[in-house]
Amino acid sequence: MSSFVWMKVLESTPERYDRGISMLSGGRIGEVYQRIAEIAAVPARRVLDIGCGTGAVTLACATRGAVVTGIDINAEMLDVARAKPVPEGGSAVFLQRAAAEIEDLFGEASLGAVVSCLAFSEMSVEEQDYALETALTRLVPGGVIVIADEAEPATGFRRLLHRLRRLPVVVATYLVTQTSTRPLAGLTGRMRAAGFAEVTQERMLSGAFLIARGRRP
Amino acid sequence: MKLLDFPAYLRDTAFRLLPHRARTGLFPIGDPGPGAPVLVTGNFTLTVRRLRDVLAGQAAWLLVVNSKGFNVWCAAGGGHLTHHDIISAMRVAHLADKVSHREVILPQLAATGVERRAITTATGFETRWGPARLEDLPAFLGRGSRVFNAERFMRFPGWERQEMAAIWYAPALILLTPILWFALGPAAALAGSAGLVVMVATLFAMLPRFNPLGRWRLPILLGFGLFGALAGWGLLAASGGATLWPLIAIGTTNLIGTGLLFMDLSGTTPWYPSVVNTGANPATITLNEARCNGSGDCVMVCPRQVLKMNGRRRKVEIREPAQCIQCGACIVQCPRDALLFRYADGSTVEAPTIRNTRLNLLGKRRTLHR
Ligand SMILES: C[S@@+](CC[C@H](N)C(=O)[O-])C[C@H]1O[C@@H](n2cnc3c(N)ncnc32)[C@H](O)[C@@H]1O
Ligand code: SF4
Repeated sequence: MSSFVWMKVLESTPERYDRGISMLSGGRIGEVYQRIAEIAAVPARRVLDIGCGTGAVTLACATRGAVVTGIDINAEMLDVARAKPVPEGGSAVFLQRAAAEIEDLFGEASLGAVVSCLAFSEMSVEEQDYALETALTRLVPGGVIVIADEAEPATGFRRLLHRLRRLPVVVATYLVTQTSTRPLAGLTGRMRAAGFAEVTQERMLSGAFLIARGRRP
Repeated sequence: MKLLDFPAYLRDTAFRLLPHRARTGLFPIGDPGPGAPVLVTGNFTLTVRRLRDVLAGQAAWLLVVNSKGFNVWCAAGGGHLTHHDIISAMRVAHLADKVSHREVILPQLAATGVERRAITTATGFETRWGPARLEDLPAFLGRGSRVFNAERFMRFPGWERQEMAAIWYAPALILLTPILWFALGPAAALAGSAGLVVMVATLFAMLPRFNPLGRWRLPILLGFGLFGALAGWGLLAASGGATLWPLIAIGTTNLIGTGLLFMDLSGTTPWYPSVVNTGANPATITLNEARCNGSGDCVMVCPRQVLKMNGRRRKVEIREPAQCIQCGACIVQCPRDALLFRYADGSTVEAPTIRNTRLNLLGKRRTLHR
C-alpha cells in the first residue's frame, strides 16, 4: 500500500491516543491519573505536568484546584488537550516545550509539584536525568515530584510471563490506535541520584504501573 | 557502507515510512577537539549511518536529535523535528561544556520546522545552515563551513530515486506476493511481483523525463502499467504458467499500482509539490516586497532555487515560482514575515500560520496552536 494510507493512520495518533492508552491499561488508566493528582495536587498549588500529552493528568490536578502548566513537545497532542474543558476552580495552561526547556519557563523554587505520566519512558536516559535535575531546582523545598510509568515485574521469569500476557493487547492496541508504551527502568535510583529525598514507589494496575515519588529536601 | 549494515539498510529504505530510531546524543566523529564543528541531524537510523560513512576521516561532533526516527525533511515538515528538539538535545548533551565555540550547523532540510532564533535565545549558540545533502558535508567542512549555492538545491539522483521506488513496491509486495501465491501458485506470485517491481523501478528511473503533474500523466502512468504487465506476462509465459487467471491478476495488479501512483507520485519526490490536497487550489509563493529587508534567510533554505537575492536593490526576487514545492521553509525563516502563499481561490496564508501548521504526507496543512 502506498505512503498516504500509512501516514494517514500514523498521523491521526493524537486523536486516538486516549482510546489507545485506555485499551492498553484495560480501561483502568483513569485510576493512575487520579492517584497522581491525589499525591501532587492541592488547591492553588503550582504544578507542572511534563509530557502532558492530551492533558489527562494536567486536568486531574486542575480538578483538585491546582494551578497547572502542562508542557509537551508535540503540538498535536497539545491541540487535543486544549480542546478539553478546564475544570472549575483550577487552571490549566498548555505550552509546547520540551522537558529540557523547563528552566526557561519557571524560576528556581517556583513550583509546588512536578508530575509526569508515561512521558519519561519516551525520553533518553540522559534526557530523563536532565529533567530530574532541573525539576529539583524548580521545586520549592519540600515540593513533591511524582513520576508514573509502565513497569515490568522485577524478576526474569515473571517478566517474561508479563510480556507474553501483554503481547496481544500491545499488538491490538497498536493496530487500532498506533499507541504503545515501553517500560521504564531504574527510575527511583536515578531520582535519588538527582538529589530527591524520601523516594518511594508504589505499584498499581496489578503491578504493571509504577508510581515513584520524592521530595526536594 | 559496511556489508554488515546491509540488512538494516534494506529495512530502512523499504519501510522508510515507519520510524527507525537511532540513539540520540552527542557523538564524536574522528577525534574532535573543543573547537570542532557541531553537525545537527535527526535520529533516523539510515541518516545517522550515512553521516558516519561520509564523515569518515573528519573531526566533528555529531548531535543526533530526537526526530522520532524520521528523516530530517519529513520530520521537520510533519512537526516531529522542531527547535524544541534541538534545544533539548544541546542541553541534555551539555554541549556548551563540550565545545569552546558557540555555533551549531543545522541541516538545511530542517528549515520547514526549525526556528533558528529560538535556538540562539535559549542556548546562546549561533546557528548556520549546512548543505541540503549530506554527501556535500566533507567539502562544506573543508572550506570552513561555507555552503555553495548549488548545495542548497535538492538533487534526486538515480540511486535515491530507486530507494523511493522501493517504498512503493516493498509494502505492496508484502501484501501481494502471498495472496497471489495462495490463490494462483508460485509462478504467478513471482511473475506478478517482478512485473510490479520492474514497472515502479523503471518509472522512477525515467522520472526526469516526464512531468508527473503534467496533462499527460495518466496516459504515461497507464503506459508504465502496461509495461509492467507485459513484463509479468512475459515471465509467466516463459515459466509456462500463462493461464487466464494469472494473466488477469498480473494485469490488475499493475493497473492498481499505477492508480495508486497517480494519486500522488509527485509527493514522493523532492521536485514537485504533493497535490492530493492542493491539486484543485494550487498555491503560489508570493513576496510582500515592502516588508523584505534583503536578509536573504529565505534564499539560504529554498531547496528549489526559487528565490534569488537582488543585491543592488537589497530585495529578494521570486525567479522561478513554477519550481516551488510549497514546503514553506522560506516563509518560516523570514525574519520580516515577508513571504506568503497565495492560493488560486484568492486566499492567502501568511507566516504565523505556516509556522503553526504541519504538513502531513498528503500535503495538507493542519493548523496547530502553541
Ligand atoms: C504516552 S504520552 C503520555 C501523555 C499523558 N501524560 C498521559 O499520561 O496520558 C507521552 C507524551 O510525552 C511527550 N514527550 C516525549 N518526550 C518529551 C520531551 N522530551 N519533552 C516533552 N514532552 C515529551 C510526547 O509528546 C507525548 O505526548
Ligand atoms: S520558494 Fe517554495 S520551494 Fe522554495 S523554500 Fe519557499 S516554499 Fe519551499
